[in-house]
Amino acid sequence: MSEPLLTVENQRTAFATGRGLVRAVDGVSFTLERGRTLGVVGESGSGKSVLSRSIMRLLPPNARSSGEVRLGGRDLTAMSEKALRALRGPEISIVFQDPMTSLNPVMTIGAQIGEVLTRHLGMSRKAAKARSVELLASVGLPQPDVRVDQHPHQLSGGMRQRVAIAIAIACEPALLIADEPTTALDVTVQAEILDLLARQQAERNMAMILITHDMGVVAGRCDDVAVMYAGRIVEQASTEDLFRDTRMPYTSALLASIPRLDDPPHRKLEAIAGRPPDLIHPPAGCAFSPRCRYADDLCRSQPPALEDAGRGHRFACWRPMTMEAAE
Amino acid sequence: MRYLFRRFQRLVVVMVSVTFLTFLLVNVLPGDVAYEMAGMDSSEEEVQAIRDELGLDRNVVLRYLDWAGGILTGDWGASFINKEEVWHALAQRFPVSLELMLLAQLIALSLAVPMGLISAYRPGGRADRVIGTLAFASVSMPSFMTAILLIFFFSLHLGWLPATGYEPLSAGLWENLRPMILPALALGLVEWTVLMRTLRAEMIGVLQENYIALARAKGMSDARILLVHALRPSSFSMITLLGLQVGRLMGGSIIIEQIFGIPGIGRLLVHAVNTRDFIMIQGCVTLFAIAFVTANFLVDIAYAWLDPRVRLERARG
Repeated sequence: MSEPLLTVENQRTAFATGRGLVRAVDGVSFTLERGRTLGVVGESGSGKSVLSRSIMRLLPPNARSSGEVRLGGRDLTAMSEKALRALRGPEISIVFQDPMTSLNPVMTIGAQIGEVLTRHLGMSRKAAKARSVELLASVGLPQPDVRVDQHPHQLSGGMRQRVAIAIAIACEPALLIADEPTTALDVTVQAEILDLLARQQAERNMAMILITHDMGVVAGRCDDVAVMYAGRIVEQASTEDLFRDTRMPYTSALLASIPRLDDPPHRKLEAIAGRPPDLIHPPAGCAFSPRCRYADDLCRSQPPALEDAGRGHRFACWRPMTMEAAE
Repeated sequence: MRYLFRRFQRLVVVMVSVTFLTFLLVNVLPGDVAYEMAGMDSSEEEVQAIRDELGLDRNVVLRYLDWAGGILTGDWGASFINKEEVWHALAQRFPVSLELMLLAQLIALSLAVPMGLISAYRPGGRADRVIGTLAFASVSMPSFMTAILLIFFFSLHLGWLPATGYEPLSAGLWENLRPMILPALALGLVEWTVLMRTLRAEMIGVLQENYIALARAKGMSDARILLVHALRPSSFSMITLLGLQVGRLMGGSIIIEQIFGIPGIGRLLVHAVNTRDFIMIQGCVTLFAIAFVTANFLVDIAYAWLDPRVRLERARG
């Protein structure tokens, strides 16, 4: 039997705040096989980023976390901080959203890549620098031998994100988390960065979690997609199934909010009415029920469970849509 | 080049305003140098004769211009009291004061940086609270109080270090340092707290930055994150303060030099003020002004070293 690379089991992460406990991630379970890509989609505040930090075990002191995160058979939640540090880089790494702030402004590019290599692979400084240049070249940064000695402010946003990717892949991790890697970038650069991530993933056989709020990013780049709402996965399926056979009204609403090329001009963009729920006092039933046009009394009183409807298509909904309803 | 020129402009403005204001101040003080020169039991006529000879009754602005002209031609004048060349007196005493101040800043920094790091690591934690209390106690105590406590404990009680005196460097490094330790401590123990609080505040902000989160995600140790990733971008305000503190330090050293009997500029200045020896006062004040502007110029250079973005702006002029 082979265990999946990553198993997240009933992960809950809450933050103690002055107003009360914010349940940012509220019982999330999924698995990810080696070399596969999982897209995690949701609005701002749906818990995507907190989920990624929960997997990396990089939570602030006021966070309360429970559940299990197993990577390659080891339970990360039971590991010491020191053991975790040895995993971050060689086993699991992350690319953050904003490349303008995620690189240290006073350190050279080379130092920021090199320290990962010296720390985890025991390379000498000289070898680490040579390897840094190679890595920069492999992420498509022009003039890598010049850039390696420069500071972040001398690079554009897209180039900085390439540097961040070079840092993330430096130790050939088994799992790469990309947390909205293109949200802060120009549209023209977004596709390049996503293609770069896909290419690196294929070459190095990494598993990847691609976090985004953009359904368009997910399409065609992920094997599976999980849709998050109010700290929970509300629908998960293979990308093809999710787009063709959408069951959860929230997913459908997200898909409808993408403008399409074949739309007639001046068509009103679909928006999802209402606001994301309060995570301190979530609704009693389905968290999406206040904004859902199909919701009834059952939806408003009891939360639906995430159930498998076959072929790995999971959704949490009392009133799932059928093909006909979606059309 | 343009940058250096702007700096020089600032030096001139600071010098002129500081020296002129001092000149005015000495002028309005009761008594003048003529009394001192004439001696205790001289008549009013004798005093007036000296005044006429020195031109003390002339307009204060004219006298200032006289003096300033001398400075520009390299003539700092000589003391009225003991005829010592001002330039010579300063050259002899300045290294002593400089050593005292450098040692004091060194002590302040070597306390402030580790304490600031530890405090910022877990704000509100036990270590932070202990250090905060220590800092508060330390800053509440004026340097002359600290000095007296230090003398009482280390000189009188333990007998480890001398309470007064000065040895030149030619007597040996340790001989030179020994009598300097307590005075430098007395000064440094006041200054470190402000540096520490500033570093702590800025570092707490820096530790929230995304690049620190990324350093954690890269598997870096807490010590490396604090020292390599966070310290440099957190030290801008502290470095600024380091320059501004030179002013306070010079004021503090005047008192400390008195208490510990250190033959530095501070004691020279106090003596000159007591005897209304205005040429010597002007010399000391001019030197203080130069030292202050130079220290802050060094701070600017330190910025460029700390932050590569500043380097770029400067290159653009």
